[in-house]
Amino acid sequence: MQRISGYFISLLIINFNLSVRAQDSIKVHLNIRAGFDIYGPAVYLINQNNLNFEAFIAFERSSRKTFILEGGYQNFKYFQYNYNWVSNGVFFRGGIDFNMIKPFEAAGKYYAGIGLRYGLSIYNSAVPSFQHDNYWGTGIGSIPSSTHVAHFFEVDPGIKTDILKNLSIGWNLRLRFLVYSGTGKDFKPVSIPGYGNGVKSFSPGINYYIIINIPYKSVYVKPEVEKVHEKETESVKQQ
Amino acid sequence: MRIKVSKLSCLVILVIIIKLIASCTPQSCLQETTSFLNAGFYKTGTGTPLAPDSITVFGIGNETNMLYDQAPKLTSINLPLNASSDACGFVIKVNNITDTLRFIYSSRPYLISKECGITFFFTLDSVMVSGTIVDTIVVTNNNITIFNAENIRIFY
Repeated sequence: MQRISGYFISLLIINFNLSVRAQDSIKVHLNIRAGFDIYGPAVYLINQNNLNFEAFIAFERSSRKTFILEGGYQNFKYFQYNYNWVSNGVFFRGGIDFNMIKPFEAAGKYYAGIGLRYGLSIYNSAVPSFQHDNYWGTGIGSIPSSTHVAHFFEVDPGIKTDILKNLSIGWNLRLRFLVYSGTGKDFKPVSIPGYGNGVKSFSPGINYYIIINIPYKSVYVKPEVEKVHEKETESVKQQ
Repeated sequence: MRIKVSKLSCLVILVIIIKLIASCTPQSCLQETTSFLNAGFYKTGTGTPLAPDSITVFGIGNETNMLYDQAPKLTSINLPLNASSDACGFVIKVNNITDTLRFIYSSRPYLISKECGITFFFTLDSVMVSGTIVDTIVVTNNNITIFNAENIRIFY
């Protein structure tokens, strides 16, 4: 008799818990997000030889997954004691962001996760002048402008949070891996727009975004109840 | 959650400021920036390295500027090629006996790194020798770079 009554009480607890969880579900907006980077312009205020603008548009497929398309422009000049380098061009990145925060806790406002990107850069580069000194004296030369296409991959950990209604801020670390610089092995580019130092096969970076959110759909999310349910079922069996 | 995200954002702003400051600091070049033709000395008829008692080397047309002046017991020497031309020559005195070496090559610019800038790499086309002490010259690697591989073997 005690076992049977315990069983019924447990069932009531489970049902009660489930009903409480159902009431706890919250309405979350899925957004189309548009953001622009403020790190590039901040760098330009300090170093007028590096002008970098970039922005993105993102489509939240679900509370966890966001498809993203990024684009930008860079004009880069570099002056060293024995050479000058100029490059400019556009770049595009496409990929996906995975939110590691559980949907109920993120509530459509917080993102802490990791993104994967494929990047493409179309750029011109030139060396207007260079000189090289050795035993025979000083050799001077220049390399005319030419167009190249570079390819790279990125892993982008980052964080975003709502600060006002429909307005977020966030940052992304950029861990970039060069696939192809578009130039020969003898003349790797000092800078590839959207990638960074093309002499190296790994180039880290950072972006700080201001983001406008346009809700396009609402979904209801609730806390994950599966494990709670299983545990309580086990306790019923033990009784 | 909001507090955690705010703390992380503050940390990132700090990292950004440090990175901005670091990006304005020029870095120095710590690599070799000149390509040398590396020539090893070997005993004629064998593959055995043989260091001459003394070596003197200077460029033809650049006599006042010695590359090696009575340098003792060197098993190899480094010869800089002239990037402004497609040929250059050297006077080489091995144990006080004078020969001349002449190299014909093509050059191409090479970007070492952002900090070190541009140097020249060379592709060696041919080598000519005149004199009495050098018996044979064998080209082992016609790609002359900053990475210090042996390019020719001088048998004497």
